[in-house]
Amino acid sequence: MGKVIVITSGKGGVGKTTSTANLGTALAMIERTVVIIDADVGLRNLDVVMGLESRVVYTSMDVIEKRCDLDKALVKDRRVEDLMLLAASQRNRKDDIKPEQMQEICEKLKQEYDFVLIDSPAGIEQGFHNAAAGADEAIIVTTPDVSAIRDADRIIGLLQHQGINSINLVLNRLSPTLVKNGNMMGKNEVLDILNIDLLGVVPEDTGVIASTNRGVPLVHSEGSPGAEAYMRIARRMTGQRIPIPEMQEENFFANLLNWFSRNK
Amino acid sequence: MDFKRLFTRKSKSSSIATQRLQLILTQDRFEVSEDSMKKLQFELTEVLAKYFEFTMHSVKMSLKREGSSYVLMADFPYSKSDKLR
Repeated sequence: MGKVIVITSGKGGVGKTTSTANLGTALAMIERTVVIIDADVGLRNLDVVMGLESRVVYTSMDVIEKRCDLDKALVKDRRVEDLMLLAASQRNRKDDIKPEQMQEICEKLKQEYDFVLIDSPAGIEQGFHNAAAGADEAIIVTTPDVSAIRDADRIIGLLQHQGINSINLVLNRLSPTLVKNGNMMGKNEVLDILNIDLLGVVPEDTGVIASTNRGVPLVHSEGSPGAEAYMRIARRMTGQRIPIPEMQEENFFANLLNWFSRNK
Repeated sequence: MDFKRLFTRKSKSSSIATQRLQLILTQDRFEVSEDSMKKLQFELTEVLAKYFEFTMHSVKMSLKREGSSYVLMADFPYSKSDKLR
């Protein structure tokens, strides 16, 4: 029996979809069977980030309204074995799905797959509740800034109220240089405030933009700092004990520039 | 030229963020207004002041998450030279 994990944040634009795409791909690369579900009905994006938009025929709405079987609605990834996508409907609205319907889909999928990852929409309305309805666990994605952390805190409270007690944090887009200069909150400060377990830290990596442009998740670019961070997180999700390394600063030139701007 | 500014560093923006968040989240978690928070803080200080000598404005309150519940923390500085009244 697999695990259903909702990937959520409250605030938009902090990297939920990017994290879902990369963690799903990374888990499949280490030989787990994975389904990633786009729960952002009406504003779907996971298919685009995965580069699978041209292969989507059916959506979760077709499954719910019994126009096709669940198996038939799953889109196979182009690059990795045992990685499937269940797309969201682009025509319908978030209120067109009920939490029980999402729950039913998740129940069925976790009988067959090791991991079911749900990409939650931003916000705390119906769409978020639907995304979290079938989840056993949650991953909170946040960036180290005041508004994202405030929203993350609100979401943690809502998830706990729903009875989800395994909630882990992915701290995204951390810039080691800014942390060192004292212009960005570091992982210890964020953890002290949110007080949940840290699953991993993903450094700011400009490679994400190119990877989204191409529709190829970053974890395929071996050696990039972001890809390595996501691979480590995926391994931790399978129960491996991998320490969280101290972040390396970007490079000498970036440091030099920073030194100048600091001493201006 | 402002020589004083050359030698005193501005306080780091990350620690300002941390302090602001602690206050914001305490209010969010309590679901109370800033006024009520201040009132609670003031009354708590009044009670404590009956027994200890300390500065009125030094009490800091926060609500910390512990698993699935919250713990209210009220910190007030107390040194050995202070005495119980």
